[in-house]
This record gives sequence, C-alpha cells and structure tokens, in this order.
Amino acid sequence: MQVQRQYREDLTGRVRVLTVLVAVALVIVGGGFWFVQLVQGSHYRELAENNRLRRMAVRAPRGLIYDHEGRLMVENAPSYDLLLDRSRTRDLEASLEFASRVLGRPVEELRKNLEAGQGQPASHPVPIGRSLTLPQVARFSAVALERPEFEIDVRHLRLYRHGPQVAHLIGYLGEVSEADLERAQAEAAAAEGDDAESRYRMGDLIGKKGIELTYDDLLRGERGERAVVVDSRGNLIQEYGRIDSDPGEPLRLTLDLPLQQAAERVMRDKVGAVVALDPRDGAVRAMVSSPSYDPNLFARGIRAAEWKELLEHENDPLQNRAIQNQHSPGSVFKIVMAAAGLSEGLITPSTTVHCSGGTVIYGRLFKCWKAGGHGTVSLNRAIAQSCNVYFYHLGRELGIERIAKWSRAFGLGEKSGIELDGEIPGLVPDPEWSLRTRKHQWFPGETISVSIGQGAISVTPIQIARAVAAIANGGTLVTPHLVEGATAATERVPVDDRVLELVRQGMASVMQPGGTAYYRSHIPGFDYAGKTGTVQVVGGRTGDSNDLPWKLRNHAWFVSFGPVEEPRLVVVVLNEHGGSGSSGAAPIAKELYEEFFEVGDRAPDAVPSGRPAGRVASAPARPAPPQPAEPAATASAGTD
Amino acid sequence: MTTAISISEERPAFRNLSGMDWALVLSALVLAAIGVATVHSASAEMPIDYLPRQALWVGLGILFMAVAGAINYRTLVDLALPVYLMGLGLLVLVLIAGEVGGGARSWLEFGGVGAQPGELAKLTTALFLARYLAGVNKRYLGVKELAVAGLIVAAPMVLLALQPDLGSAAMFVPMVAGMVIVAGLRWRFLAIAALVVVAAGAGVWSFGMQDYQRQRVFTFLNPESDPLGAGYQVQQSKIAVGSGELAGKGYMQGTQSQLRFLPARHTDFIFAVLAEEWGFLGSIAVLGLYAVFLINALRIGMRARERVAVLLVVGLVSLVAFHVLYNTAMVVGLVPITGIPLPFLSYGGSFTLLNFAIVGILVGVDVRRYVNA
Repeated sequence: MQVQRQYREDLTGRVRVLTVLVAVALVIVGGGFWFVQLVQGSHYRELAENNRLRRMAVRAPRGLIYDHEGRLMVENAPSYDLLLDRSRTRDLEASLEFASRVLGRPVEELRKNLEAGQGQPASHPVPIGRSLTLPQVARFSAVALERPEFEIDVRHLRLYRHGPQVAHLIGYLGEVSEADLERAQAEAAAAEGDDAESRYRMGDLIGKKGIELTYDDLLRGERGERAVVVDSRGNLIQEYGRIDSDPGEPLRLTLDLPLQQAAERVMRDKVGAVVALDPRDGAVRAMVSSPSYDPNLFARGIRAAEWKELLEHENDPLQNRAIQNQHSPGSVFKIVMAAAGLSEGLITPSTTVHCSGGTVIYGRLFKCWKAGGHGTVSLNRAIAQSCNVYFYHLGRELGIERIAKWSRAFGLGEKSGIELDGEIPGLVPDPEWSLRTRKHQWFPGETISVSIGQGAISVTPIQIARAVAAIANGGTLVTPHLVEGATAATERVPVDDRVLELVRQGMASVMQPGGTAYYRSHIPGFDYAGKTGTVQVVGGRTGDSNDLPWKLRNHAWFVSFGPVEEPRLVVVVLNEHGGSGSSGAAPIAKELYEEFFEVGDRAPDAVPSGRPAGRVASAPARPAPPQPAEPAATASAGTD
Repeated sequence: MTTAISISEERPAFRNLSGMDWALVLSALVLAAIGVATVHSASAEMPIDYLPRQALWVGLGILFMAVAGAINYRTLVDLALPVYLMGLGLLVLVLIAGEVGGGARSWLEFGGVGAQPGELAKLTTALFLARYLAGVNKRYLGVKELAVAGLIVAAPMVLLALQPDLGSAAMFVPMVAGMVIVAGLRWRFLAIAALVVVAAGAGVWSFGMQDYQRQRVFTFLNPESDPLGAGYQVQQSKIAVGSGELAGKGYMQGTQSQLRFLPARHTDFIFAVLAEEWGFLGSIAVLGLYAVFLINALRIGMRARERVAVLLVVGLVSLVAFHVLYNTAMVVGLVPITGIPLPFLSYGGSFTLLNFAIVGILVGVDVRRYVNA
C-alpha cells in the first residue's frame, strides 16, 4: 500500500508538472500573438490593405518546332494584352468607356471579357482586350498614373511561319476549356490535396489539334512564379523571390520543309492530299491537305466570322484529307491484289489473261478502260497498263475473304498510328461486315469491283502510303511518324520479298514507255516506280470525265516510290475530281521527286526538256455552286 | 498479492452526472461552435461552404463523445490488445485498399462515406500503451520498458509513414513522451531518450524526409529564402494575424482570407482567419478556452485513482495539447509549417470525431473515479 501510494503521488506530481508546462507553453504562444498582432500589427495591416504582396506567374516559352534539317517553322512572337484590376477603379463604367475609345472596340465586348473573370478575386487583373497595337500600348502607359486600374501584359503568341503550308500537321492552339480546367484540377487534387494548383489556369493556351495537341505537354514547359511587393499604385517595388519557368522542349519534325512547300504550292488550287514518307522508317517528309487555312488566325484569336467562314466552306479546309478522308483506291489497289495473287500461288509472273475490252463474270459485263482491250497480258503488263480484266479474273479466284485478309496484312482498314488526332481507319469490306453494317449478304459481283479498287473498299492516303512503303522496303509495315525518335513500332507483312520484287518491277514498268504514267511523268535519269488510279464518282458514263462538272469528275490517285534501287521516298497523291490518275496525280508526284532529289527540271544543270509540260487537271478557281455531296465511288465499273 | 494497477479489485462504477467536469465539456463545445462559424467565414471565397459539413461532424462528434463516455473505460482497457491490433489492421488495410487524398493513401471508403484509420490508431495505441505502462511494477521505467513502449508506438507510426503521412506519424511522439515521463523516467533516461530522438530525427531527416519537407525547415529558419512556398504561407499567415491588431476586422471581413491570399485557411490555418477577424482579443480568448480545456483535462489525470486511468488521460491530453500548441505557434510563425490541424476548430471529419471521442473518454474516466469502498 505504501509503495502504491508512493507511486500514485509520483504520478500525480508529474501530471502537475505537465500541466505547468502546458500552461507555460500557452503563455509563450500568447506572447507570440501579442508580438505579431499588437507590436507589429500596424505593419501587417499596411501590407494587407495595400495588397502589397502578390504572386505572379512567370510564363514558360513554348517550345519551337523545326523541320528535320533544323529550319524553324513555329516560333513565339510578342503580343500585348490589356488587363483591368477591378479593385483599383472607382468607376468601372468610366474605365470601360475609356478603354473602348482607345481600343476602338465596343464596350459590350470589353464588359463580356471582364465577366469571364468573375470567379477570380477582385484584385486579380482580368484581360479585357488582346493583341493591342503598340500605339495603344503607349496610350495606356501614358495614363498609368491617372488610371491605375489598367495593366499591360506581354504574352508570346505562336507564329506559324509558313501559315497554310503546314496547317494540318502543326495544328493550332486555343484557350483551355472549362472541361480541361476541371479535369486538370481533379488530377492535381488527387495527387497533392485540395489546395494543389492544377497545371492549367484560366486563359492558358493549349494545343487543340495536330502536333501542337499531341505534344502539348512537352511543348508547354512549366510556368514559374515570382512574389513581388508592389506599392499602392501597383508599381513593382521589389521582387521577392523567383522560381524560373521551365521552357518547353523544342520539337524536331521529320518534315522536309522545301518538299512540303513544293507540295502545297502544287496542290493549292486543287482539292486533295499529298503524303510523302521515307519507306525505311516511316518518317513523314511532307503531308499536305488542300484546301488549307492559316493557323495564325487561331494564334491571335480567331474571330467568329472567320471561324464561320471556315466551317461553311464547301470543301472543308479544316479536315486533314491525308488522314481524315477516305476514298476508293481505284487501280492503285491492283498492287495489293498482285501481291495477294502471287503469295496465294494463284498467279505467276508468266500467267496470262486475254483482255478484249471487257469480260463477262456472273452473267455481267465488266469493262476494261481501254476500248479494244489490252490483248494477252501477263502480270507486268497488267500493272503497267492497268488492265482491269486481268484483275477481275484474279479477284474472282481470290474471293473477298482473301482479298480482305491481304488488304489488312498491308495495313489497310486500320489506322496508321501517326501521332495526329482525328485519323480514320478506312474500310476493308468482307461478308461479315456486310451483314453487320448493311444487313444483307455480300454479293459476288462486288468482289469484282473491289478487285480494281472500286466498290466498298476505301482507304486514306496515309494508309496506302504505308502499304506502298511495305512494298518498297521488302515487307515491313512502318508506323508513319512526324517527330524524330517517335516510336518505331513495325509489323511484318507475311509476304516473300520475291513477290514484292515482282510487284516493284510492275510498278517500275508503269514509268516506262507503254506504262500509264510514262508520258507525262517520267524523269530522265531518275528511275522511280508507281501506280496510277482513277476512281469514278459517277458510274456508267463514258467519254472524257473532264467534260463533266467538277464535282462529278473522277478522282485521281497516284502512288509511288523512288529511286527504284534503294527507295528513299514514297509519294502518294490524291487529287479529288482531278480526272485520271495519269494526268491528274502522277505529274504532281513527278514535281515532288524532282524537288526532293534535285533531278529532272530541278537538277542543278537542268535544261528545260521541251516536253509538253502536261496540264495537270485542277479544280476551277471558284468551285461550282454547292451540289449535294456525291459518294466517293460507285459500286460497279460498268452497267449497261 | 496486490498489484500496482488498482487499489481494489472492483471495477470503477458510474456515480452520477453531477460529478462531471462541465468546464471541460462546455469549453470543447464552445470551441467547436467557434470552429463551425470560422470555417464558414473561411469558406466564403471557396467553391463550397464547409459549414454544413463541419456542423455534421460536430454533431456526430457529440454522439461519439456520449458513447465514449458511456462505455466503461475499464472495458476498453481490458480489450486494449485486440483493439490495438484492429487499429494496426486497419492501417495495413488502408495501405492496400485505401483511397488517396491530399497526397497520401489515408482514406478508407465504405459506400460513399470515408474515414481515416490513422485517427483511430491514435486512440487504440494510447489505450494499449496506457495498459502496458500501467502494468509495470516499478518506480521508474527501465530500458526494457522503454523499448517495448517504443515498439508499441513504432508500429502505427511506420504504417502511417508509409502512406505517406509523416505529420500524423509524428503526433505519436508527444503522446508517448507524455505517457512515459509521467509513468516514471529517470533523468538519465530522459537524456538518453532525448539523444535517441535526436538520432532518429537525424535519420528521418536524411532518409525519411522529402526535399520539400526539408525545405520547409530551411524556410522556417529563414523565411526570406523561399517566399513563394512555405515562406509565402507563413508570411501570409502573419499578415492575416497581424492585421487583425487589437479587435480584428469583424466576422467574415478578413481581407486576407476573403481575398484568398491565405492558403489552407479552413484547415491548418483556421486560427489565422480567427485572429484576423477577431484580433488579439479574440485570439487570447480562444487560447484561454484551450487553456481551460487542457488544464481541466490534466486535472482529471491528477484526480484519477488508477494508474492506467492516469496514463490514458495523459496520453490523450498530450496529443491534443501538442496539436493546439503547435498549430497556434505555427500560425504566428514561431515554428515551421506542418500539416497539423487545430482540434475543434479545423475542418476535418475523422479528426473532429477523434477529439470528441477523447473528450468522452476523459469524462468517462472522471465520473468513474469513485470506487465502491
């Protein structure tokens, strides 16, 4: 008992000590408050009242974009904004009136911009006008003393040096949307707590399309911050501390700027797309979609009227026709057919077929494009002269299932994997697709149409470029890419290179005398290979498509690679409503090979060849009045 | 054989409410009410108003308090080991299946309702530690007893640190220190313990802390060096507190809070909002309320008849006292900034429930201090 009471007294004594300690600590803390609130109180009140301590963002310069040889394509140029600090004006209306007069913009517009910043505290300046001219900037600076509510902020805007020439690839920036802001805020809160700052702020510009979108995180860098002390007028007294911004990473594209510009120049008055890539690894050297638009309109803030004009334009300039637009490939598809036929053992290089201008299959007449027929043809001539009948028979033997299988083996019917938004996969039809989507069976007659690339099959220019690259490089499906060092995922096409060699020879013959592209498009001293394609828009007509209204003319395709020995470039041209492949598309590719390899008319010592230049079919300057949209190609190559 | 645990074999019985320490309960309730009102003010420029939620937590807390007081603390002590293990189990569970919030995986969610087992672990550990220390039949704790006490506390601390929630883990230190010192510590052991803490601190500094946490300490020592991070927070806090001067700016008129200069103002910096709006007079009044609460709580410890009761009270009060002292000192710039909330004032669900449960346990211990003679 004695011991226990002793223990208990010890215990009680120590608790008493603890109590004293706590009381003393509270007094010390109380002393701290006395010091901060009473002794230094007025000092802090002053700091508080004048909002003297501010945190300001230091913007990170966005990464620049270069072509593969280091030519600058996209940079940042200064732009001046007008900001209004609501807590500093006694008469908001008068301030808005003044700004409206100087800027020459309506008061309602400025007020609307001001309201957009409603959620921010009153002392946070809100941008009410963008892209001021230097004289306007000077005006506001001159009245800064009388009107402390105005601030000028310098931003850097994207400058796309080559405007419409690279529009679809590069894309453009736009203001971050509510949805983007909410999502980024949620991500930050999950990682660091409710207080965390998200990586986006209202008013930030982020990539919305193209490379600017895909590589936005890399390009934008990280904003920095600085704490500043300002006086009662908002002038900077002292910079308190600074975290520098982390500039965005520069991007080196695989693009070849001179080639891109040449392609855009040629396509400018046409509607369609050009894709040029390196078959060895899929590096895209040029990608053009026409008509195009100027992304600098977006950089400085596109106006409603301009946006409307783009949306309502008949030929949809915002669409990237290289990846977002699909058409039947026409005769270009014959190269895939040839590879399929050889691999399946249905044909050999010496198998012959007799073409008399048409053939009857399943009780129907399927015509060849040459009225009297090609006579007896083997594979090489069938490709070189694009004989339909040869391929009708081959198609019948292969059947749609095998045609579909080989199409997919060459990458058709699936996205190419290029790092741009909006790519569509095209369509490789088969009976299962027909039942699922069209709710009826696949008709054997349709297989015959598909054999020459008409009918339900449809491809995008980039897909067919990828397939041609596989033919050129010996059977590897590369992933087209725009940035050096992007993923190099490849797939093997299960095909023997000897088969591909035969196809390549066939395509080389297209550029020789007798081939469909020789006359207008061969380059003396430079051997390249290709295949023309002509896709009917309206079936069953005879006569020159050029006599039809533009919208009803055939589409012109041309796919190619060069040089024949060790190919380094694949060029695919789609000239919508451009007429025949040999007149409407092949000559475009010729110009590009000349530009890239400095041969032919572009050779350093070129002498004008005296050959007829060859009129390349193009769209009229002002397209015909809007007509109901036509399907890209119709099912049959010949009715009657 | 008599043991040092209790003077009689009978379990302490509940007498009547008249012996209850009303000052304790009332001070807690007044503080909680002030908390709800201040949270409302702090929420003013925020997307949502935290008042209804905090009011809900306070309401639930009062319920918890009543339940905790109604349970005979001896029952809890008898169940101390399974309860402690359950606490550890929940901490393990949250590491595996918990939700992340505020940078740490610290939440368990059941059908839309969430709780932080870390807070419960503080209670269960205090219980088990009190029982262990009470069973030591020596005047002063020896090395072995200290080691065991250390282990009992280390287990939940490590589990919390893995979340990672170093702040909550560190809260176990004042709790165990208070209990161990009151249980009986020779001076030389105190010195050794201090050395061990320093060594552990050095170890934690080098290996356990992240850069931003180390930076906070540097910033505390020299606020000018990092005016944008923790330096900014403490500067803004002082501006808010200091600009309240004598009588404050008035309820919901705190410019620093209303203009959103002060971060975390509904949680860690709630006292700064109060100090700005109610001035020095308000700060001292609230500090006085805390003094009433803490001193009354400790006096319960002095009145208690059983060793285990004393130690339990001391452990829990040390926990609350440390929160109060550190948070208020931090708000006024006396100590580095860490995420230690203020009991009864800061917004927070599990934390509010824990504090009310502690009040309940304290009252429960107190009204059962009479033993049937």
